[in-house]
Amino acid sequence: MQVKDIMQTQIISVQLGTTLSQLLNIFKDFHSFPIVPVTNKEQTLLGIVQMRSLFDIFQPYHHNILMHNPLSMLSQETTDIFDIDIDENIGFLIIIADIIDKKVVSIQEDKDIKQAYDLMQLHKRDTITVIDQEHHLKGIISSFDIVMSVFKEKGIF
Amino acid sequence: MNIILELGIILILGLISTKTAEKIKTPAITAYLVLGIIIGPFAMNFISQNTLKHSGLISNIALSLIAFSIGQNFSKQTFQQVGKQVLWISISEAIGAWLLTIIALLYVKVPIYNALLFGAIAAASAPAAIIMVVKQYKARGRFVDTLMGVVALDDAWGLIIFSLSLAVSRAIYEHLSTSLFYVFLKAFLEIGGSLVLGGVFGFILSLIGKFLKNQTELLICTIGVIFLTTGIALHFHISVLLSCMFLATVLVNLNNESFKFFDILNNVDWLIYLVFFVLAGASLELNMLTQIGFIGAIYLNFRIIGKFSGTYFGAMISNADNNVKKYLSLGLLPQAGVALGMALIVKEEFPDVGHIIFTTVAATTIVYEIIGPFFVKLALHKTNSINA
Repeated sequence: MQVKDIMQTQIISVQLGTTLSQLLNIFKDFHSFPIVPVTNKEQTLLGIVQMRSLFDIFQPYHHNILMHNPLSMLSQETTDIFDIDIDENIGFLIIIADIIDKKVVSIQEDKDIKQAYDLMQLHKRDTITVIDQEHHLKGIISSFDIVMSVFKEKGIF
Repeated sequence: MNIILELGIILILGLISTKTAEKIKTPAITAYLVLGIIIGPFAMNFISQNTLKHSGLISNIALSLIAFSIGQNFSKQTFQQVGKQVLWISISEAIGAWLLTIIALLYVKVPIYNALLFGAIAAASAPAAIIMVVKQYKARGRFVDTLMGVVALDDAWGLIIFSLSLAVSRAIYEHLSTSLFYVFLKAFLEIGGSLVLGGVFGFILSLIGKFLKNQTELLICTIGVIFLTTGIALHFHISVLLSCMFLATVLVNLNNESFKFFDILNNVDWLIYLVFFVLAGASLELNMLTQIGFIGAIYLNFRIIGKFSGTYFGAMISNADNNVKKYLSLGLLPQAGVALGMALIVKEEFPDVGHIIFTTVAATTIVYEIIGPFFVKLALHKTNSINA
């Protein structure tokens, strides 16, 4: 079975210029924060925004590069998000381009779902993005989709 | 006491000092260093001479992991993100500290191979201490952005400068009487060898990466390739730092899922760094502190002057604003982990003079870690980055 047979195609994506307020408004009624693909006008996948990216708002700028220095200790330290004064205008000032996570794991739509499962195991991720040959966003696939397809095949539901 | 028991003590006390350091807002590395001094041979004597003799193993592993992580900074993506100004300033301040420290030490008749090494170590700074101050005062603004960018790249240039200087120093040291041509040929071969070694293994790791199925395999493979690179570099007497750094640089530019190799190390690396810094503290020869006074003072001051002039020059040619030109160097003064690592290499490679360099750097590290944060704060104040 191929990835495109079971992937989710109804997905919400955002652009680099989407503001933090817009992002939070889209997802305020969700019960958790999903992986949100970031694309340009041509639907090319540029990166993702995930829960961890939201924590970046509380970090100094360039901290993602600083994490490459193992002694910068940022990877060890958790930011106390309750003790931080952030400007209320930050909702308009911060855009997706500031918090985009470019460490994106993707699979092509015509690959076998076994490969998608292996990729999730390797990267320890539950959801990955699906793209075509030209790197256009086609959907997302989660381990839940894969497990459901196995159950379905076995006639469990 | 057996070595495993000693390691157990180091880890548990290390954890306690991490917590204590967090409370009193001190970088963890300083805390490990002090812990090393306390439980080392000069005080409580929990760590035996035998363990210290074998600490070369831990330091080689720690340094190869540090170099590997820092190597990923040289990606197209990072260069685009930080921009030209940061690039120029970071190169210029690193070279500035290197050059001025060397000139000052040569002036007081320190041998050239010694001065080269001191200069190279002067280039490094301590991101942890700098970030800590920026976070503590919730500083933000353009000045802070530039500072963070420079700090991010600073150690990467530092490692390169150090590797080059080490190669030249070693060649001079070993062949004091032979020609300049021979010195440069030997240094050139050492550096060329490192680049080839790192490049080949970067390519191999990128290929094998496709066949890995889970996190355990990924961790084993990444550490395996880093050890192979380090081991071969040690065997052929070429630069471990440069080889591992270039391994990462090739990987990050070749493979767009390369972050998996770096992220997986986050699970284990801090454990090795902890042991590494505690052992570094324990091997500090406190009785030598009296001998380093003059050289130490020159190193301490000319590193500052070098950082200042280098930053000023870099800011001038990249058209940075006045705040950056005048005050950015104040933010770069803390120095800790990477410098100590370099000093430990020198200690092992140059048995007769290395321990003076190591003790000087370890002692000035403590001074820099105390006065450094104060200057970072001053820079942030002067540039109105706090509560701006």
